[in-house]
Amino acid sequence: MVEIRIHGRGGQGGVTLAKIIATSRFLQGQSVQAFGLYAAERSGAPLQAFCRYDDEAIANRNLIYAPDHVIVLDPTLIGPAVADGLDPGGWILINTDERPESFADRYPQNRVATVDATSIARDNKLGTRSVPIVNTALAGAVSSVLGIPLEEIHAALEHLGFGGGNETAAAEAFERVRCAELPGVTEPADEAGEKEGGAAASPFLATERAPSFLEGAGGGLPGIKTGQWATEQPKRQQFVPPCNHVCPAGNDVQGFLHALARDDTDGALEILLRTTPFPSICGRVCPAPCMDSCNRVELDGAVNVRQLERLAGDTGQAAVEPLASRGEKVAVVGSGPAGLSAAYQLARLGYGVTIYESGSEIGGLLRTGIPEFRLPEDALDREIGRILGLGVRVVTEHPIDRPTLLDVTRRVDAVLVATGLQELRGLRLGVGDSDAVEQGIDFLDRTHRNEVRVDGEDVVVVGGGNTAMDAARSALRLGASSVRVVYRRTRNEMPAIREEIDEALEEGVPIDFLTQPIILRPDESDGAGGAGALGGRRRRTYHLVCRRMELGEPDESGRRRPVEIQGSDFEIPCHRVILALGQSPDMSVFPEGTEVREGERLLGLLETPVFAVGDLATNDGTVAGAIGSGRRSAFQIHTALSGEHLTITEHAAARRDVDVWHDDVIRADAMRLHLFERLAVSEGDAVAPELRRSTFDEIHTGLTDAAEAKRCLSCGVCNECDLCVTYCPEGVLKRVGHDLVFDYAYCKGCGVCVTECPRNVILMSHL
Amino acid sequence: MPAELVTGNHAAGYALSVAAEANRHARGATCGIYPITPQTEIVEYVAKFPFSKTRVVPVESEHSAMGVSIGASLAGARAFTASSSNGIAYMVENIMVAGFYRLPIVMVAVNRTLGPPWNIWADQSDTLMLRDFPWIQFYCEDNQEVLDTTLLAFRLAEDRRILLPALVALDAFILSHTQMGTELPEQEEVDRYLPDLDLPHRLRHEAPTTLGGLVWPNVAMSQRLEIDEAMGRVPEVFEECRYAFIEGMGRDPGDAIQTFFTDDAEEVLVVSGTIATTAREVVRRRRDEGEKIGLIKIKMFRPFPEAAVREACRSAKKMAVLDRNYAAGVGGIFWQELRSVFQGDGDRLLIQGYLTGLCGGDVTPSMIDDVVADLRERDEMGKPVWMGIDDGNGAGR
Repeated sequence: MVEIRIHGRGGQGGVTLAKIIATSRFLQGQSVQAFGLYAAERSGAPLQAFCRYDDEAIANRNLIYAPDHVIVLDPTLIGPAVADGLDPGGWILINTDERPESFADRYPQNRVATVDATSIARDNKLGTRSVPIVNTALAGAVSSVLGIPLEEIHAALEHLGFGGGNETAAAEAFERVRCAELPGVTEPADEAGEKEGGAAASPFLATERAPSFLEGAGGGLPGIKTGQWATEQPKRQQFVPPCNHVCPAGNDVQGFLHALARDDTDGALEILLRTTPFPSICGRVCPAPCMDSCNRVELDGAVNVRQLERLAGDTGQAAVEPLASRGEKVAVVGSGPAGLSAAYQLARLGYGVTIYESGSEIGGLLRTGIPEFRLPEDALDREIGRILGLGVRVVTEHPIDRPTLLDVTRRVDAVLVATGLQELRGLRLGVGDSDAVEQGIDFLDRTHRNEVRVDGEDVVVVGGGNTAMDAARSALRLGASSVRVVYRRTRNEMPAIREEIDEALEEGVPIDFLTQPIILRPDESDGAGGAGALGGRRRRTYHLVCRRMELGEPDESGRRRPVEIQGSDFEIPCHRVILALGQSPDMSVFPEGTEVREGERLLGLLETPVFAVGDLATNDGTVAGAIGSGRRSAFQIHTALSGEHLTITEHAAARRDVDVWHDDVIRADAMRLHLFERLAVSEGDAVAPELRRSTFDEIHTGLTDAAEAKRCLSCGVCNECDLCVTYCPEGVLKRVGHDLVFDYAYCKGCGVCVTECPRNVILMSHL
Repeated sequence: MPAELVTGNHAAGYALSVAAEANRHARGATCGIYPITPQTEIVEYVAKFPFSKTRVVPVESEHSAMGVSIGASLAGARAFTASSSNGIAYMVENIMVAGFYRLPIVMVAVNRTLGPPWNIWADQSDTLMLRDFPWIQFYCEDNQEVLDTTLLAFRLAEDRRILLPALVALDAFILSHTQMGTELPEQEEVDRYLPDLDLPHRLRHEAPTTLGGLVWPNVAMSQRLEIDEAMGRVPEVFEECRYAFIEGMGRDPGDAIQTFFTDDAEEVLVVSGTIATTAREVVRRRRDEGEKIGLIKIKMFRPFPEAAVREACRSAKKMAVLDRNYAAGVGGIFWQELRSVFQGDGDRLLIQGYLTGLCGGDVTPSMIDDVVADLRERDEMGKPVWMGIDDGNGAGR
């Protein structure tokens, strides 16, 4: 009887090779058996197949432990196990492009034959390029090695219906197989008992008693490494959450929400302070584009990020200290949010920073342009104090013009100009320098300094931005008899924060949309300069002539351009008109023709690097944008002075150990929103509108706890919810610290972890 | 009759298919079936067979597979299915129903270890779990026997004197997945061997009736007695079916028990399934050496062929029963059966049980030699011996 053992991988046709050999003998009238050892019947899994043939009826049903010959279908299986129990002098036929002599050391007791069946199979288009089916080629090699006539192998192939390339492959392999004679001295044939010694290693032969089921036998790792079946494997991936992507300050929104969700307020503040010195400020006045882009909008409403940032800023504790000490000095011109953000980052990096401020107080528009009912001064002072605590020097009442800028530039190693938007856009209303018309920014500044009252006046505010809203609401609180806003476009085009528009309307400030002021005409019947009803100087009455507008084609800003409707003029009687039409940068500090762009050195100012930062460079107009610009510029200064590039990026999600980074933003359709519970938004408390009108006290009292943070979907970033670990049917997914660990030895690649992940941080990758 | 190299599963699939096709001039055939390793090749085979009047119904579970077959059988179709291991366990309720409904359904069962722990290899404990159900049970040794016995099972089950379902079992992988030369009968030969099915109690539109409703104790008990009487007729009808097969096919499908050198044997090995092949070779070798040893292969387990076994053991003094199955707290199930067969026989026969190759273990010639050596040393029966594993009483090898 001849016994052949075949070592191969699922998909290569090992069992069929046994059948081809058996068929060739069967057709010659011999008794045969062909069978596989089945356990892991998956593509790629190591398997064994067996073939017996004999002139007599075969009289056993065992696996083959002491084969006469061995065939190895896959070169990766070459190892000592191949020769287990193999008859000394028996053939080992290996599918490889190596010469048989190269295996002499490894198999000294056996004769080795090799044939590159993989190439032959590919040449004959058997199987696929990645998984060629090598069995028919090897059948041809077997024919040569074992002296089975090739025509008998061909007869078997024909009988089994394997024509064409299979027959060619067998014939090619028959010719190309290379045989090496036995290198060493043949040992005497093993005793039968010793042959069984090899057999004892088989798990199919009972040997000794295994551990108890109750003591965990079978609870350990299964004997079959099911990971070998896998054609795909799960990998950890991370996307950019939309909030992180859009945050003008570059905050790690997902990161601080994740900390808050774990009630780690201090950790949340620490994360915020990496990118912004102003969480308490942005937590009050930021337009929060993160909330507009929040994927939770598609489920039940955006996470209230603004109030959560305020909660972290107001209640968290986190020390901020310089990370190093450096000799270089940097001057920052302007103490608005951009200048302060830059100073904060530079001071943390260890630079000696001096801020030059033209006014008497620092904070820029944060202090003079945002009324207290939105941003209380103690919050502002606290956050500015944190910056000054880093050793930042401030020189107030020190305006910088072109000569003084050159002067400052000579004395320091780098300069940042953060003067913001100082030029206020006007509107010719045909009344000259009448005190009936003033700029909103100035009005707010005077309000801040307690230098203005509007008792009993009818006030009209022109504009649709936050300055317009702030001025209107301040006028209300300063005793105006009535306040109304006129805006030439519709609500959709208003740049003001949505919530501030709502609050203004709640407080009784009507807005005339699609309305353009044309001219301000004094009331001829009104005697100017008399005493007012409340004892102050009574103001003259005017008529603001306005014209109705309609929306036309989009302009360069993308908003639809308002077009006048002829003959639609009407009049609004008033005592005061406040203009809030936007601002533009004052470039007079720079040499003529200077082009200001963030991140680019300004030329013509000595060798010292000079950068423009904030609204001056970006015209962005938000505190958050100024913070981001300030930080980026600080890092550019650092690179210019030290050559070091800093790794804190714009989208500094809390990056953990993942396999695949995506720089793109994850959108709601890539999330599995059905796996989330619907939860109402926590808005936070606010003072009732009727109580607000007479006080500059802060309207919003904020959130009382961080429960709202638990609504964060953590889009595209693992937040250790561990649904994947729970649902992994194989138990091969573990949480080790913050890391997710796959046991690829046993992972079959079923993909359940992928479909159970609500936030798409696991992907399947082909092996 | 052409011979082909096929697996045990394909032999079974072929037999089921040609048997079903053979009823095409009557009420056709139906198969509710659900795949499970290592039976899946059978499902694949019957699903692809070009039937002319047979419906293969894929279902969502083994319970439903048998449900479909029961319904079809009640409608007068030739019905069959195939399963294995935990699939059989899930099917149990309907397996029992088929028996008590007296439906001649044929099931091929691939013997696989019941889990847990998970194990896909050969062990007869799954079908032997059904030993007290009204089903005829056969255990096969090789591909040819699987094919022939499956065909015979239809004729036997459908005989009006019997009308009981029949189960044909084969060892997982060792038989189900091993390719061996097998003679495949032509359809016409099968047509001649299997008469059209005319189930006497089939449901008919023209005469509506209810089967299996609530009945008084004496009625139910009488139905049990009828089953017992039908079971009692099985050996005789089986012999008729066997001889008809030999006549039609020119080949013996195998007797209920198959003896080897038992005429003067003092020691007898009792085996079933594929172990028989290996054990027979051990006995042949020992006979060559002059030992008075013989072998009995049990093919028909239900009804148990008591008379034939007694007859074969006339000269025996010691018997070793090799079981690839396990009844908890008892030992081997064949061993238990044989002890009851010889109960009251004056204790002249020592019947020792050996648990061999459970859960897919390989039963080698040397293990069988160890069994013989153990038996020879005994002068009285002991606890079953766990071959290859120490059972804690020092009895293991």
